[in-house]
Amino acid sequence: MGLMTVLKKMKQKEKEMRILILGLDNAGKTTILKKYNGEPTNTIEPTLGFNIKTLDHKNYKLNVWDVGGQKSLRSYWRNYFESTDGLIWVVDSADKRRLGDCTTELHSLIEEERLAGATLLIFANKQDLPGALSSEEIKEVLQLERIKTHHWKIIHCSAYTGENLLEGINWMVSDISARIFTLE
Amino acid sequence: MVYFGTKSEMASKRTNPVAATSATSDNNIDAVSIQLSEQVLQKKSTISPEDVLALSKITEGYLCTPDANVYNIDFIRFKIRDLDTGMVLFEIAKPSVILDDNQTEGKVEETDLNSGRFVRYQFTPKFLKLKLVGATVEFTVGSKPVNKFRMIERHFFRNKLLKTFDFEFGFCIPHSKNTCEHIYKFPNLDSELINDMIKNPFETKSDSFYFVEDQLIMHNKAEYAYNGGGV
Repeated sequence: MGLMTVLKKMKQKEKEMRILILGLDNAGKTTILKKYNGEPTNTIEPTLGFNIKTLDHKNYKLNVWDVGGQKSLRSYWRNYFESTDGLIWVVDSADKRRLGDCTTELHSLIEEERLAGATLLIFANKQDLPGALSSEEIKEVLQLERIKTHHWKIIHCSAYTGENLLEGINWMVSDISARIFTLE
Repeated sequence: MVYFGTKSEMASKRTNPVAATSATSDNNIDAVSIQLSEQVLQKKSTISPEDVLALSKITEGYLCTPDANVYNIDFIRFKIRDLDTGMVLFEIAKPSVILDDNQTEGKVEETDLNSGRFVRYQFTPKFLKLKLVGATVEFTVGSKPVNKFRMIERHFFRNKLLKTFDFEFGFCIPHSKNTCEHIYKFPNLDSELINDMIKNPFETKSDSFYFVEDQLIMHNKAEYAYNGGGV
């Protein structure tokens, strides 16, 4: 019931919020999404399209989109940018071999005009795996300090154990709320 | 214990509408105008989301033919779970799809969704007491990209609108497999209405309309009974 608690905290003002989860294939995007609502995560297949969760509570609505990360699907990511309030970038912290690829993809997203207003949360996932880089190390490798155009934060997590998933989304939702609030 | 039900096809429902005969005297005018508006819609070459949102009752017939689905959008799984307990209450999938092994209650009697656009569900009265529900659909898309895919689903008991779902999936990747779970608070129904719904099986009905770029491409119907179990 993780996301339901987030929804309850949303302020009256921003009735609807759209969150997009992206990252390389096998980063753990779908596992994160499923973990939020207490679904079993033992049989997750590669996403060959999208997985959406929509939560309705009174007048609030949270829409979360998880789009497949395989190379052949990445050119379609741009179809999901419109109206995105928050972007969650999921990193497999134990997949050192592909961190270069991961950095390139992230920085090309940052330059997308239609994601310009979005809050960025980076999940340094798979902290339960031996050899996983820490969030500090991931921050270095992904050159996050270069990002000046977005509110961003990196949080280490484990989609497998659920560690820090709620902390991450809570930060994101409150950042989006604050941003929408100050714009008025 | 939730009783799972039968999904049966009603051949007569697949043909075009027949005039409503059940209108009572006090809602005659309404019934006539609704009937007219459905007939008007039947004659339109394309039907928009606004058209179906304006309907104030369940349709008698289908507002498009199965051929309208030129994108080969295919629903391969429906699932309902109770978020308060985490239990999967209902799941129905095409035979090629392996069901989640965490289904805790009930069985799927019918596993073929091919048979048509009409489904009947049977639940126990307990179903109407659920608080937080997750309804999942899983669908595949053919070789063409799909733009602005939108679902409008309207649930009625007799002429009372219980709930409208209106959701835009947006773009769908060619040859993709997609899932969408709507998590929602079950509508707060008063006990008199609940009793009526239990006593009158299959008078709770839904129309599901699917649009691509604001044109109707699929129309499915379902009917629900809540008297399963101890009758």
